[in-house]
Order: sequence, then structure tokens, then C-alpha cells
Amino acid sequence: MAGGMMLLQAVADTAGAYRDFPLIGSRAAIWIAAEIHLMFAAFVLGVPIFAVVAEAIGIFGKDQRYDRLAKEFTRLLLIAYSATAIWGAVFVFLLSTLYPRFWAYMTAIFGPSMWVYVSIFFFESFTLYLYYYGWDRWKYGRAKIVHWCLGILLNIWGTIVMFIADSWLTYMMTPPRDITAETSPTSIKIWHAILNHTWMPINIHRLIGNVVFGGAIVGAYASYRFLAARTEEERAHYDWMGYVGNFIAMSALIVLPFAGYWLGREIYQYDQSMGITMMGGFMSWLWVIQAFLIAVLFLAGNYYLWVGMGRIPGAERFRPYTKWLLVVLVLGALVWGTPHTMIADSRELAAMGGSHHPLLGALGVMSAKNTAVNLMILSTFLSFLLYRRANIRQVVPWAKTGTRIQAGMFVIAAAIVLFFGIRGYFVEAIVRIGYSVYQVGAVLACIIFVTVIDVLMARGAQSLGAIQWGRMPPRSQYALFILAVTFTWLMGLMGFARSGIRQHWHVWQIMQDTTPYAATPALGYAAIMISTCVLIFLSLVGFIFWLGGLAEKSTFVPSTVEAPHVGQ
Amino acid sequence: MWANNLRIIAVVLGTLALYTLIANKIPQVQSEVPHALTLGANVTPEQLVSAGDQLYHGAGGCTACHGLGTRAPNLLTDEKAQGPIGARCGKRESGKDCKAYLYESLTSPKAFVVPGYEPIMPEMGRILSPQQIWALVAFLESNGGTVDVTASDIPPASGPAASPAPAAGGGGAPGIAGGSTDPMTIIRGAGCTGCHKVGNEGGAIGPNLTHVGSRLSAALIRECILRPDTRVAKGYEKFVGVMPKMFGNQLSGAQLEALVQFLASHK
Repeated sequence: MAGGMMLLQAVADTAGAYRDFPLIGSRAAIWIAAEIHLMFAAFVLGVPIFAVVAEAIGIFGKDQRYDRLAKEFTRLLLIAYSATAIWGAVFVFLLSTLYPRFWAYMTAIFGPSMWVYVSIFFFESFTLYLYYYGWDRWKYGRAKIVHWCLGILLNIWGTIVMFIADSWLTYMMTPPRDITAETSPTSIKIWHAILNHTWMPINIHRLIGNVVFGGAIVGAYASYRFLAARTEEERAHYDWMGYVGNFIAMSALIVLPFAGYWLGREIYQYDQSMGITMMGGFMSWLWVIQAFLIAVLFLAGNYYLWVGMGRIPGAERFRPYTKWLLVVLVLGALVWGTPHTMIADSRELAAMGGSHHPLLGALGVMSAKNTAVNLMILSTFLSFLLYRRANIRQVVPWAKTGTRIQAGMFVIAAAIVLFFGIRGYFVEAIVRIGYSVYQVGAVLACIIFVTVIDVLMARGAQSLGAIQWGRMPPRSQYALFILAVTFTWLMGLMGFARSGIRQHWHVWQIMQDTTPYAATPALGYAAIMISTCVLIFLSLVGFIFWLGGLAEKSTFVPSTVEAPHVGQ
Repeated sequence: MWANNLRIIAVVLGTLALYTLIANKIPQVQSEVPHALTLGANVTPEQLVSAGDQLYHGAGGCTACHGLGTRAPNLLTDEKAQGPIGARCGKRESGKDCKAYLYESLTSPKAFVVPGYEPIMPEMGRILSPQQIWALVAFLESNGGTVDVTASDIPPASGPAASPAPAAGGGGAPGIAGGSTDPMTIIRGAGCTGCHKVGNEGGAIGPNLTHVGSRLSAALIRECILRPDTRVAKGYEKFVGVMPKMFGNQLSGAQLEALVQFLASHK
């Protein structure tokens, strides 16, 4: 313990607690390095998850197309991996040189986990090399299964690495309550520090978020290649790849708010003031921006599906429904974006006639917002269902009954969402919070049961014609770019929210930030920083993908089998 | 090919610009750092109230809940016909006067939770220094009650919020009113309005200074500030000894002269 304190003292005495970075300052330097490292890390952790799933579909579904797709995903991964490591090194060097006292404090607690982290990173790298370079060598029989297991192992390493890094950042947010400013860092048990309030919620939230992010970036890559394609077959391949990327991103996005809700609840349980700062304090406007971004995601995702129906024979039957889906999505987005509790000055309060706007205040509460977002999720699922059924006619004898049951499930789910949404206005807050569970439960149950029925109904279905992959107007591809930019920006925004609620603390209520940059900036400045990071990240990704294209020709194969059915 | 690339770049840049623009168009609220307070042994209630006011409306983060009327009781306005917090704080908990109750509410908020509200108040002792806590107590008392926080309540500066950053608020600046020579800033910073009325501001414990220039010369005003008990205004005999005698030490020469000339000119 004394050794640790002496180390801290020595660092503080000889190097000072802080150093500054030229021109942009130490906070901006750390912000950029951490953010871009995280964006690359999210990509290289998310893509292996669905690469291994695609490979499994290829193996067990005996469809080479998915195997090739998985390999192409992994090729992107290989190139992005070194960028992740480089930005990680930049981040660590900046942290240790600009914030030496804080760095000494963290290493005093988490030193052993950092050694493990590096070791696993090493294993992960070599597993990735084996996984990619062994693809064509271990292609058949038992060797292919072994190869697939390498993919699983790659995911295990990646998940452990992420869990370790998450323990550091969550400790900064929610250190165990028995640790105080006077506690010597070397006396803190490492597992005690790791198992803090928000560790597991962040782990789960990031795991899902990485899949969403990876899907979106893959979608953008595919759309880039689609627009640059010179042959019909190449265009068809990248159209399909873009569809798969978008499908993965949107599917995981539907689950993400539930993980976010758990994380938010844990933050409130740990420290109410931190939760209030996040939702109703100086960050309250952030959620209006978030609602706008998610509205863009829902609208762009659905737009892509609706445009995509143009290449499916038989889809014209469902086209009239899309305008009503659009109405629900727009109304839902407007309600979700309605501010409720805002920090307002006396002039603004007087103009509103109270602490809440008389009209909008009623729509800004969680009852209305939960109702809106659940209906938006249901609408998006319905869009996907229509897309999925576009080119088939069910032949099972109970097809009509099944469709009616599905419609009934949608109506019941929507009714449950609306009922609890309205009832929420008439009950205590503590009861109202519990209603969101019923709303979410109804929507999830609808999604699961309707999907099961749909899969059973599609057995032996009559095809109305193969999907004409590649017959997509270019404007649909720009929707995929907007999705990728928005997902990336949203990730930066949520990172700012998570980190910013610590306000002027390096470690919440234990180690204070005493730099000139200690005040948490307003959203305007944060937005400029986020946009800068997104621009750097996307520029690098674009460059890396271009390099990848130079190094290796596309792995797409000419179509020898009928294009896979959507959603399969 | 290049046309495609340019369109992609335009879509990416346009989307980024749109999000950045929207985020810059909404109200910009920055989370401020609560600066350390250095309160001297002669700190006045007015200095405490001023520092507490700044904390309450700024870095203390109090307004995120208090004042909305839903999460936590309103403190600066009436609450259930009991008046603002300074008027009702002494009646909240039996056996606890206003000062003790407010201190407990800030440092051990779960010890007593006002009926009808959730125990969501954070322990401010983990966030603010003792000096800042006492400044908040004084500010809350001043809203409808009497400030009885004194320098003897406040321990020497230390604690988690102590920082090398320059102090903000009335108490932390060098000398009274941060060394300002603006007469009204000095009057407010020195706490004159705690007892004296100047224009529309101030109390009625001491003589009204609004037209003091018509009663006293500049030399007499200077003498009253430096040695307040040498001349006692008619009708205020019972308050002899109340006026602090340390202004000669705390005001700079320039401040004293600015104040004297200002008061003398008010005829």
C-alpha cells in the first residue's frame, strides 16, 4: 500500500498531475483518441459475431454464398484490426502522458487486468490471422468445423477483452460505495473494483451495440461497392450484402433500447443525482437529439426496406400499407423527441407558464415516449414482415387463419402498449415505471410469435419470382450511408452522455478533475467533437476499405444457386 | 466513379453538418465545476449567502430537482402554503432548528425525507466542501428566514472539492467584492444591505443610506465606516456594536474612497 502511495506521490511530484496538449488541449486530444479507438473496437468486436453466424449458416445450410459473405466480413475485420490497435496505443500514450496522476491511480487498481488484457489481445490477433488465412485451407469436412470453432474462439477473446476494458470505464463512473477519496488505490481488491454497478449493463449494451454498429458499417461498405460495381453479378452480390448488413443492424437495434434501459436503471440505483444529471439535468437536451437520430435510423431503415420491395415480384400488394407505416413512424418520432424536464431560466419558465410546457409537457413524459417507441418498433417489424412475405404465396391450408392470428397479435400488442401508455398518466411514478415492462413484453412476444408463425406458414410457399438482387435504385444505397453515419454519430453522442455524467470527476466522487477542462462542455461543443471523430473514423475506414480492395479482389461468387430468400 | 464518390462524401458531410447544426441550435448548458471557497474568519452572512446563491443556481446542481415541483420540494418559492425554505426549515424536524435541519438535509439527506417525495437527494458532502455546504445553508436560510450561519460553523478549507482553481463567488475573491471599486458591488459584497437600505435594496436594521449624503459629509461617512460606534444615528442606539469594525482592514483604500464618495453624493 505504501509503495502504491509513494508511486502516486512520485508521479505527482515529478511529472505533475497533468500536462497539456498543443493547440487542441488535453481533453480534446483524449476525446479524439478514445472515441476513434472505440469506434474501430466496436467494429472489430461486432463483425466477428455475425461473421461466425454467417459461416454457420453456410456450413449447416450448405450455402456457399453465406460462407463467402462471412469471409468478406472477416477480410474487412483484418484490415480494421491494426487500426484499432494503433488508436488504442495512441489513447494509452496520451492518457499516461497527459493525465499521469489519474493513470497511476487506475494502474494501481487495475494493473493485473491490463496485463491480462494485453495477453488476450495477443491471442485474439493470432486467432484472427488463423481464422482468415485458414479459410480456404480448412474448407471441408471436420476441418471446416474446426475453422468455425476458431471464429467462436475469436469472439470469446474479443468479448473478454471488451469486458476487461469495460471494468475500467465503469469503475470511473460507479466505483463501489465503500471506496472513498481517502482509500489507497493499492488496497482496493481488483474484483471488487471490476464488479461495480454498471459493469454488466455496459457489457451487454456494448455487445449488442457493436453488432448494430458492425452491421451498419458493413452495410455502408456494401453500398459503396454496389455503387462502384461494374457488373450485374457484382451489383447483385453487394445489394444482398447491404441488405444483410442493414438487417443485422436494425434487428439488433430493436433490442438495444432494452439494454440501455437496464443501464439507465443501474445508474439511477447507484446514484440518483447521476441519473438526474443524465436525464433531467444539464444533459436533458441530449435526449432530444438522440430521439432525432433514432427517428432518422428508423426512417432510413424502413425506407431502405420499402425501396427494396421494388425488386421483389409480388411486393406491390403491400405498397399501399407503407404510407400508414410512415405516418406511425413520424408521429412516434415527434412524440419521442418532445422535451419534458429541461433546465430553463426564469424567462423561459415564465414563457412556458410553469416548469413544463402546458401542451408538450404531456407528450414529453415517459408514458408517451415508451408508447411511441414501442409502436415504432412494431411498425418496423411489420415493414420487415411485409418485405419477407413479398414474393411468396403461402400454401399451407391454415395460411388465412395464420395471417389473421398474426394480425390479431399486432392489434393486441398495440392495444397493450396504448393501454399502459394512457394508464401511466393516472398512476404514481413508481407504478408507471413498471408499465414499461408490460409494453416491452407485449412487443417482444408479438415479434417472437409472429415470426414463428410466419416461418411455419412459409413452408413450401409458392414463389412469385426470385428477388432481383442488384435492381436497386442508387438512392437506396445513400440511405445505408446515412444509417452508418447516424449510428456512428449516435455512438459518439451516447459515449459523451455516459462519460459526461461524471462531470468534473475522473472517478466519480473520488478523484476530481482539476484541469482547465474539468467543466463538462455543452452539447454544441460535444457535437463538433463527435462530428470530427466520426469524420476521421469514416475517412480512415474508407481508406482502409479502398486499400483492401486493392489488395484483394472481391470474394463474391457468380450466382450458381437461387438467391436466398429474404430474412433467411 | 468519381461522381459516386463525391455524392457519398456529400451525403456523409451533409449528415454530419445537419447533426452538428441541430446540436448547436438548442440551448447550450455546460456543467460547471464547483470552485473551492476560501472563507475568512470574518466572513459575513451576506458573503455566505452570495456564494450559496451561486452554488445553488450553478455548480451545486440543485435546480435540476428543486423548483420543478415534482422531484423535490420547491425551496425558493412557497411549498404547500408554508413559505419558502427559510420560513419552514425550523419546523420540519422536531428538536432541530433551521440551521441544523438544512445541514442534515445536505449532508445526510436520507435522515429525513419530506413526505410525498422519494429519497433521491445525493449526499452533497461527497460533492461539495464544508465551506460550500455552509454557504448553501446560509443561502437557503436567507430565503424567508434569518441567516445564522457564522464563521465559527465553518471548518478551515479542505475536502474533496478543494481545488487549485481560483475561487468563485463572494467569499473566494481577494478582499471584499473581489477588489472591485464599483460602489454597489462593494455595498453588496461587504454585506451592507444586510442591515442598511440603499435605494431599493437592503434591510431596515441600520439607518437608511439612500440619502445619507444629505445628512453626513464625506469625512463623517468615512469615519462611520472605519469606526462605526463613534457616531450613532438617532433612533438606532440599541444597535450600538452591531456594525462590524473590520472594514478598515478589508477594504482597500480605493474601495473605501469609492464607497465614501458614492454615499456622499446621494443627497
